[in-house]
Amino acid sequence: MPCAGLHKTAVGLVSNYNLRSMIVRKGTATMTALGIAMVVAVFVMTLSIAQGFQSTLVASGSPQNAIVMRKGATSENVSAVTKQELPLIQTFPQIARDASGHPLASPELVVIIALPRKTNNEPANVPVRGVGPLAFDVRETVSFVEGRRFTPGTREINVGRAAVNRFGGLTLGSDVKFGGSVWNVVGVFAADDASFESEVWGDIDLMMPAFQRNGYQSVTAKLIDPSMLDSLQAAIAADPRLQLSAQREIDYYAGQSATLTLVIRVFGTFVTLILSIGAMFGAMNTMYAAVAYRTREIGTLRALGFSRLRIIGAFLAESVVLALVGGVIGCVLALPVHGLSTGTTNMASFSEVAFKFRITPALLAGGLAFAALMGAVGGLLPALRAARIPVARALREI
Amino acid sequence: MKFLSLIVKSARRSKRRTVLTIMSVALAVFLFAALRAVLDGFNAATAGSSSTRIVTIRSTSLIFSMPTSHANGIRTIAGVQDLTWANWFGGIYKDPQNFFAQFAVEPESYLRMYPEIILEADQKKDFLEDRTACIVGDGLARRFGWKLGDRVVLQVGIPTYGTQDFDFTIRGIYQAGGSAVDNQSMLFNWKYADERSIEKGQVGWYVVKIDAPDHAPQISAAIDQQFANTPYETKTDTEKQFQSSFASMFGNLNLLLGSIALAVVVSTLFVAANTMAMSVRERTTEIAVMRTLGFPAQWIFLFIAGEGLLISIIGGVIGALLAWFVADGEKLGISGGFAPVFAVSPGNAAVGVGISALIGLIAGTIPAAMASRLKIVDALRRVA
Repeated sequence: MPCAGLHKTAVGLVSNYNLRSMIVRKGTATMTALGIAMVVAVFVMTLSIAQGFQSTLVASGSPQNAIVMRKGATSENVSAVTKQELPLIQTFPQIARDASGHPLASPELVVIIALPRKTNNEPANVPVRGVGPLAFDVRETVSFVEGRRFTPGTREINVGRAAVNRFGGLTLGSDVKFGGSVWNVVGVFAADDASFESEVWGDIDLMMPAFQRNGYQSVTAKLIDPSMLDSLQAAIAADPRLQLSAQREIDYYAGQSATLTLVIRVFGTFVTLILSIGAMFGAMNTMYAAVAYRTREIGTLRALGFSRLRIIGAFLAESVVLALVGGVIGCVLALPVHGLSTGTTNMASFSEVAFKFRITPALLAGGLAFAALMGAVGGLLPALRAARIPVARALREI
Repeated sequence: MKFLSLIVKSARRSKRRTVLTIMSVALAVFLFAALRAVLDGFNAATAGSSSTRIVTIRSTSLIFSMPTSHANGIRTIAGVQDLTWANWFGGIYKDPQNFFAQFAVEPESYLRMYPEIILEADQKKDFLEDRTACIVGDGLARRFGWKLGDRVVLQVGIPTYGTQDFDFTIRGIYQAGGSAVDNQSMLFNWKYADERSIEKGQVGWYVVKIDAPDHAPQISAAIDQQFANTPYETKTDTEKQFQSSFASMFGNLNLLLGSIALAVVVSTLFVAANTMAMSVRERTTEIAVMRTLGFPAQWIFLFIAGEGLLISIIGGVIGALLAWFVADGEKLGISGGFAPVFAVSPGNAAVGVGISALIGLIAGTIPAAMASRLKIVDALRRVA
């Protein structure tokens, strides 16, 4: 297949030629690539905030857990479950039981207390969750990094590790004053980076009087099997004494993160889009200059028999490669923010959630694709120009 | 004058390149000014707060309420001149997506303590006389196309207000006379909410007018002391502090938006510097000819640096004007929900143009220095 062989060499020649000419113009090429790198870095960094926030909230939910709230309630804050309703929920056969036969369902109440944020000493809204005695069995991801579980019936509390880092006065052994009493921190827990790590947990039966509440807000129950949610929902709907509805815990938390995640994504995309147009103009300038410098060389290539299409392809490839180099630099620039802790208020719960910047392989791939697109769009017009150069005139040029 | 026309001539040498560069700088300045405006919007309430107003909330946190009887206790403290109170209502207008702030306020004292709420006298009278009346900011009225006399129905968001929907009539449309209040909120009579509330006589926060800004620390301490060791302990702070705790709720926006703005400037700097370097390289022979004709090296430097500056500032002015007309949260329909009320101020635009001058200066200096240092002989010998 001599034809195919020739074809291969030709492609190799052109791309090799383009790569080498990029190295010749290393100053200009570097500047262009760095411009694109900044855009990609901003893109990856802002979207890693959305990614981190979303995965922190989604990690809070388990597919095997159901959260029961007042019908129509969009968050725990605006929900209410009465004391009379709890035993009715606990008897449903869909709910798993522990070794001694107790239903794995935790009645809960979330309120917000003000504690100083360590970074700026401003008051932050810290969620305090009153939980039932089996809460730690309902949520298997919770594990203790320091100390132990609180003893029900005492003013002992457990604190998530993100809360210990973000808010003042919550370290193991501290006394925290809220709700008219003093509470002692006896354990610090981790929960796979979930939003629970930003919370303070204590005994629901002591939290309710402390905050002058006489009902729960939600009941989180572990199902025998994830597929039993439908039948639990049906059972709740069938009981006229319950004005409640159940949803999968993971869906609830995903919904809680939806608005803010969307806002950050839209903002990040908008900013990078505008920014990328600027960088694209830069790439366009560079590629036009590249074409202008090489007019005679392009004429020679054409005279040797390279088609217009091949020339377009070659210059487009040059531009895309240049942009991809910038994209890789941008990704590398963005990487150090991965894992950095930060926090924001989740308006759905009006409480502060600590989370980490999270750069995923998909996000990096997105950044690179974005860079390639900038290169392709920026390189298209100059490449078309290169292809339109009349051979005879190009060869005559000095 | 000749100097300038020479700069303009060389800028027009490659029109396409100059236009592309101007447009990149314009976009950068547009983004920069818009980001600054958003950030200012988030901090506006803090910046516009009054130094003679202090705010008392429950010490546990803002979500807890306290009885109206606290008002009498606060009034007895020396230096307190006036007070009012308010509650967060948190109702839902048709859909949770239509989020806006609603405050149940003690109407007469609230309007008295917030002269920033500008309301026509007859509208004020109507508002005070009708128990189910509400007043809305002009921005909010535009957002939903509301007019005086319109009915607004809110679903209850917070369980304490029962389950029945609340019916309001718009009796006034106010304007915000200062950034301590925004024009995206709704105010209505606290009594209307209270009579349906499960727990009566509850107040979210008190706003207290004090005689002198310097007395804020003592008066705040005295108020909190008054209610210490009661079931409803309080925490009193200046209005500025109260507002800044809201601004800081979203996280470190200064750092986030600041780093983005920096990245915008740096990436544009790369683009502009690159273009200038390219244009100087193309003109090597030309510059050598000018030097031969007797133009001193410093002049060459000024020509090139001036060209960079000119191109960049033109871009900057275009970008600032664009931001001025386009980047307005209300016109874009994004203010009132998550985003604050924001609009590009003359200051934001000026800083943007300043940034463009900086970009031009830096981008022009290096190629200008290169050009002015060219050895004439080498440059003349070089082929484009």
